[in-house]
Amino acid sequence: MENNLKTKNPLLRLLGGTKYQFISIPIFAIICSLIVSAIIILIVGQNPLMAYKGLLQGAGVLSKNQYAAYQGQITDFMETLDKMTPMLFASLAVAIAMQAGLFNIGVSGQMLISGFIATIVIGYSREMSPILAKPLVAVIGVIVGALAGGLIGFLKIKFNINEVVSSIMLNYIFQYVISFFINTKYVDPVTRQSRNIGANARLTLMQVEIADFKMRIPIFFIVAILIAIVMYFFMKRTDHGLEISAIGFNRDAARYAGINVKRRTLYVMLISGGLAGLAGVTYYLGYQPSILPKSLSSIGFDSIAVSLLGSNNPLGIIFSSFLITVIDRGATYMRSAAGVEQEIAALMSGIILLFSAMGTYMKQKFSDLLIRNRRR
Amino acid sequence: MLNNIIIDGLSFALPLLIIAIGGIYSERSGITNLALEGLLGFGAFCGGLFMAFFSSHFAAANVPVYLSLLIASIGGTIYAALFATLCIVFKANQVISGVVINILSVALTGFLTRQINQNFFNQPSDKFQIGVFPRTSIPVLKDIPVLGGFFNNFYLFEVIILILLAITWYLLYKTRFGMHLRACGDNPQSVDAAGIDVNKVRFKAVLISGALSGIGGMCFAYSISANFSPTIYMGAGFLAIAALIFGNWRIMPTFVACLIFGFARSAGNEIGKAMQLSSSFFDLTMTLPYVLTLLLLIFFSDTNRAPRALGEIYDKGKR
Repeated sequence: MENNLKTKNPLLRLLGGTKYQFISIPIFAIICSLIVSAIIILIVGQNPLMAYKGLLQGAGVLSKNQYAAYQGQITDFMETLDKMTPMLFASLAVAIAMQAGLFNIGVSGQMLISGFIATIVIGYSREMSPILAKPLVAVIGVIVGALAGGLIGFLKIKFNINEVVSSIMLNYIFQYVISFFINTKYVDPVTRQSRNIGANARLTLMQVEIADFKMRIPIFFIVAILIAIVMYFFMKRTDHGLEISAIGFNRDAARYAGINVKRRTLYVMLISGGLAGLAGVTYYLGYQPSILPKSLSSIGFDSIAVSLLGSNNPLGIIFSSFLITVIDRGATYMRSAAGVEQEIAALMSGIILLFSAMGTYMKQKFSDLLIRNRRR
Repeated sequence: MLNNIIIDGLSFALPLLIIAIGGIYSERSGITNLALEGLLGFGAFCGGLFMAFFSSHFAAANVPVYLSLLIASIGGTIYAALFATLCIVFKANQVISGVVINILSVALTGFLTRQINQNFFNQPSDKFQIGVFPRTSIPVLKDIPVLGGFFNNFYLFEVIILILLAITWYLLYKTRFGMHLRACGDNPQSVDAAGIDVNKVRFKAVLISGALSGIGGMCFAYSISANFSPTIYMGAGFLAIAALIFGNWRIMPTFVACLIFGFARSAGNEIGKAMQLSSSFFDLTMTLPYVLTLLLLIFFSDTNRAPRALGEIYDKGKR
């Protein structure tokens, strides 16, 4: 039926046809926000093209004019991938919950507690062999994250407590309790953060020399990509995955269809928490070696938006998390190269998210326009 | 010591209350409002901006301080219009919109503060100096034992908030508008059947929530740090959400919840100080409001009732 849509406007056909909307609408949102951000940069008296170029150069997507010794485009790019890894895990955590109609805005808290437990159990045992320590860190991350996520699911099915509310409460409880333990037992008096973990437990290999460059290697980046692909097939091709989507679509209808909604809810929150746990260990024992007390990482909240921008599709999320990380990482260099305050980067992500929040509405509007256009 | 607990407790509880009342207006009309954090931050930013430019242009030192509350409230309203447009006009998911509005608010105010400081005051700073809010005491009453703390050395904005408490309580429970608003959250279809535009009522409710949050944000900026800076995003908006859930989406119980949160916080600090515990000890008392709310929800989830249509996008065709 889609093929019969004959309209002269190819743009409208692309944006209105339901088949490609999962990709065309996010791209439309990104273009809109690039235009709005460009206007803002023009207003503050800078050249938006230079700013965007600086952003891409800073993140290692384009080459800078000059580099320090052992540094190159590849080192910048690897650091971007290193930061993208937790973002990807966190966004997948949000996406699988969202698919079941659940909002896991507790990802930040789940990241923090799994990162903390992994830090004190494995991170400080410096004599453990890296072959053993690194997988153990990941396993502990998954288990602790899954328990924290599962707690939210349990509170929902047992006491009917809205998951958004319990996640917010747990986020703060984790944040303050962990801050108490870090400040009383594990603090580094100089940095005011938790003491650095040993290199044996760190999920990012630092200063690896490859062909004259000293770069970071995020070991779990490949794992994150693989999990995204597996999750894509799980959601689209397996009974479990389709049942989860059915719950997200209509809880009551799913129950009448014989799906055990409560059991699935718990199970989705366990998976979501497990993924958030992986995000936690790749962030607190990977991208950085320590935990800053009394703060939640913004990744947990940004991931909600990243997952939205990726249309909740695991493959789409790979691209959206890359994009948001590039903007985030390139900001510092953009400031020195183009003279734009680096806060503009956060603003750009914010505007992209604003437009993608309107995605559902735009989908509907463009489809209506297309149908009206065809009738004429 | 008791005096300090009361003074600090009130100066924290009352701004929290006004934000929570904003949340109640929005949620009773059926719009889940996770954007309180962003609204209070943007309001405080507008107030701070006003103070940075105009505080020196007034002869009477107190005039700009009060005006800044008004500006903060207008700023909160304008920013809330964006949130309302997302949720109501564009029919976006309310939880997602709230999160996006918060992220955007942090980014926007951070960027603007830095850029304005750079362009107009020629200094790289992410703060606006706003000075201090006048405090006062009531002569005879402040000497009453124990209760005297309530009349001693309080910020004048606390009085404004108490007046607003009375007005908003009356508006929500005793007027036709308030009744329509509450009906929109419980049974929007019947409101529509009565010939009232549900979306219009909800839009107004969100704007009110922005105005109140803006004032609350500005009060926090005054009482905590005497400047506007990104530290304004310390989670007060989410604490307000905890308070309004604790108060079962009703104004007076929420007032009590805010007082409990405020006094628990100040008492924790004072006891910690008296026993000469390290400052890390405060981290544990800080969890109190959240633990309380969670326990309350676990034990009283039957009696705790959210507005029935909360979070649902109003659809005329649905029954």
